[in-house]
Amino acid sequence: MSQIQERGSTHVYKVNKISKEEMDSMVARCVHEDPPFCSAACPLKLDARAFLEAAAAGNFKKALLLYEKIAPFPLILSAGCEAPCEKKCRLSEIGDGLAIREVERAVARFGEQSRLGMVFRSKKRKSTAVLGSGLFALLLAGELEKKAYPVRVLCEEADEEAYLRAAAPFLDGEAFRLELKRLRGKDIQFEFGCALTPELLEETRGSADVLCASWELTQQLFPGAQSVPELVYCEAERLVSGPSEGVMGAAFAVKKAALTVDRLAQNLDPRNTRGQEGAVDSKLYTDLAEAKELRRVPVGESGYSREEAIREAGRCIRCHCEECLKSCAYLKHYKKHPGLLAKEIYNNTQIIMGDHQLNKPMNACSLCGQCTVVCPNGFDMARVCHLARQNMVSTDKMPLAPHEFALLDMLFSNGEAFLCRPQPGYETCRYVFFPGCQAAAIAPATVKAAYLDLCARFEGGVALMLGCCGAICDWAGRYEMEAQTRDFLDRELAKLGDPTVIAGCPTCLKELSGHEGLKLRGIWDVLLEIGLPAGGHGLDRPAAMHDACGARGDAKTQEAVRELARRLGCELSETPYEGDRAPCCGYGGLTAYANREVAAEMTDKCLERSDAPYISYCMACRDRFARQGRESRHILELVYGTDAGAPPDISEKRRNRLTLKNEVLQEIWLEEAMEKKLDYPLRWTDEARRMMDDRMILVEDVIAVLEDFRESGEAIRDEDGLLVARRRVGNATFWVKFSPEDDGGFLVRRAWSHRMRVEKREG
Amino acid sequence: MAIEKNYYTIDPQGKLSCYKCGVPLVKGKAKFMYLDNGFPVELPVCPVCGFVYVPEELALGKVASVERALEDK
Ligand code: SF4
Ligand code: SF4
Ligand code: SF4
Ligand SMILES: [Zn+2]
Repeated sequence: MSQIQERGSTHVYKVNKISKEEMDSMVARCVHEDPPFCSAACPLKLDARAFLEAAAAGNFKKALLLYEKIAPFPLILSAGCEAPCEKKCRLSEIGDGLAIREVERAVARFGEQSRLGMVFRSKKRKSTAVLGSGLFALLLAGELEKKAYPVRVLCEEADEEAYLRAAAPFLDGEAFRLELKRLRGKDIQFEFGCALTPELLEETRGSADVLCASWELTQQLFPGAQSVPELVYCEAERLVSGPSEGVMGAAFAVKKAALTVDRLAQNLDPRNTRGQEGAVDSKLYTDLAEAKELRRVPVGESGYSREEAIREAGRCIRCHCEECLKSCAYLKHYKKHPGLLAKEIYNNTQIIMGDHQLNKPMNACSLCGQCTVVCPNGFDMARVCHLARQNMVSTDKMPLAPHEFALLDMLFSNGEAFLCRPQPGYETCRYVFFPGCQAAAIAPATVKAAYLDLCARFEGGVALMLGCCGAICDWAGRYEMEAQTRDFLDRELAKLGDPTVIAGCPTCLKELSGHEGLKLRGIWDVLLEIGLPAGGHGLDRPAAMHDACGARGDAKTQEAVRELARRLGCELSETPYEGDRAPCCGYGGLTAYANREVAAEMTDKCLERSDAPYISYCMACRDRFARQGRESRHILELVYGTDAGAPPDISEKRRNRLTLKNEVLQEIWLEEAMEKKLDYPLRWTDEARRMMDDRMILVEDVIAVLEDFRESGEAIRDEDGLLVARRRVGNATFWVKFSPEDDGGFLVRRAWSHRMRVEKREG
Repeated sequence: MAIEKNYYTIDPQGKLSCYKCGVPLVKGKAKFMYLDNGFPVELPVCPVCGFVYVPEELALGKVASVERALEDK
């Protein structure tokens, strides 16, 4: 049997193939981490989504805590903010934008202030002082107190009440009382009744690390002073101060000023490392279909009641992008957004020493490309995982175990089971039928019928090529093997006179399109052109069409297969996720081999779309649906009136390929087939066959063990008197528990394997 | 005397025998090797021909999990 060299060591340190830049640009496509539109529009960056969620849940305490992060005086901000968030709210595109400010007002009014963290907060070492009064001065004092600076306020006013009145004359009675209470509760050291003279300012400069002032006072003391707008800082005067207009203007100026204070307190240039300030653009995508209530809860004279605010907040659809997670079972399984998952998978490829914990997710993606279609930004997870696999192969860090069975299966398809023959009577041919390895493995009779039909109806000769297109090694990231397979197939095609390939599988079609200068068609296409043969018939009840991931982006193929189905008399029911948006059956990308759990979830995802029987045009899909107990037919089975029946197990899939090859060799090319026959009877318990399928142990592996036993007589006799023999085949040791039978045969009872070598040790 | 670490020990307790040599298996020294890592173990071994037995539970349990761990190195 063909073998694949296992990597010799885990200690291989080589360079790798993907550049960080390329990965970063791919990762950046996922907008999941972008802020919702409301927050993006808010210059103060309120986490409005979380705020509204808390409010909608009636948790005003938590909502207030979130709001206080941007507003030391919530009633002042909510009274005067111009609410740019509401204009940007996604709901405004289909109805009324959310009344965020009104909810804020209600929360500020009814929310219970949390004392947590206020009590034992330790103060910063650097001290600050704010001179003068007015909105900017008040808000800045509040903001600095929130940031745990010791704050002194020096003002002309006689008490807190006068100070608050000077800052927010627009507050009504109730709001004024609440904010006054809040101001008195703050840890601010007031010095009332001050004469705000240049001397006082200089004196204060001596005792405070950072000095701030209202803009009015700055202008009064330093006529012509210049404030740098983005810093709110008068550099010459070393005074944190600047003009602002309106409540939102003052609040935003305070936010910038507070950052400047932070930098100055650390003796840093206030210009550096400020991050992105103010409103930003968001590229977040949201499915507006989730919106239920389009109209605002009407606002009364005195604003929302508690209940009204809860109802209005409940209209928020918490803008978030989940398009790919909704449609892909793999992403859902790992519960991660592709942006994050891709970053982790990339990092995984960069590990030189230690555990590659992301190998499993990297190998579980079916490389189907569905995410790229459903993602509003075309995020290409398939490319990320495919590149990562190639990268792991290039650095010799890729484990062989998850893909070895599939790779050996491919070598079998292109070795022992491979066939390439021109139609009898021709040296070269105009066409070659390439049904694909899975078609031969799962529906050999259908393949034969299709080939005979094509031979009968085409002039110029139709050759037959039974083999694998190379998708298997491509999916595994084994790019060198892929190149070898391509060369091999090209040489075989050249022998046939470079005919046009008629592919029986959309994945083959896609894989073969990578061959330079190859003429290619799908059999569905050909059948539409030459018409249906006699003997085909559709299903007698409505069926669901499952589009193959190999045909994603290939509208012509998708439509051709539907047209064939219709001509056969099938009634196709509509299902969600059709065409380019179709999910993968779980075979693609070798998921079925590398991660059976995820593959099963993918199959379920496909089947939950409809209760009807499924028609597909990829044999792997047909097989996986049938295994899951669904009535499942390949379009070619319907066309040729064949029924591949119950899905074969892994050994039958191999035998089917060999039998098909031998059959056509005998019947069409009149060649003697070389079938190996055992010269002793071999029997199996059902349990043994189930176990073998589950553990990926082939009949051939078991035979290899038994042949070895017959020759060497080496085995163990266990306590039940059963024999256990073993043999190393390729990279694994296979064990078979059996009983010899009276007629010289064997009854196989159990089988298991391991990859480690085991050896006797001296001493 | 140096104490040698064994990752795993199975004593056949006289329940298994070598089919070829016709003698009971004994607890003997063996070694698992994978991807150039080695693990000393004690497994049922034929004292005559040296056949080392890896029972099903061991293959599917401990051995499989160590394989997975090494494969991801
Ligand atoms: S669909 Fe998925 S990958 Fe695309 S932006 Fe949304 S969360 Fe990110
Ligand atoms: S629906 Fe909610 S999260 Fe989305 S923009 Fe509007 S308020 Fe913000
Ligand atoms: S399985 Fe398909 S849809 Fe899901 S991440 Fe991979 S390529 Fe995208
Ligand atoms: Zn022996």
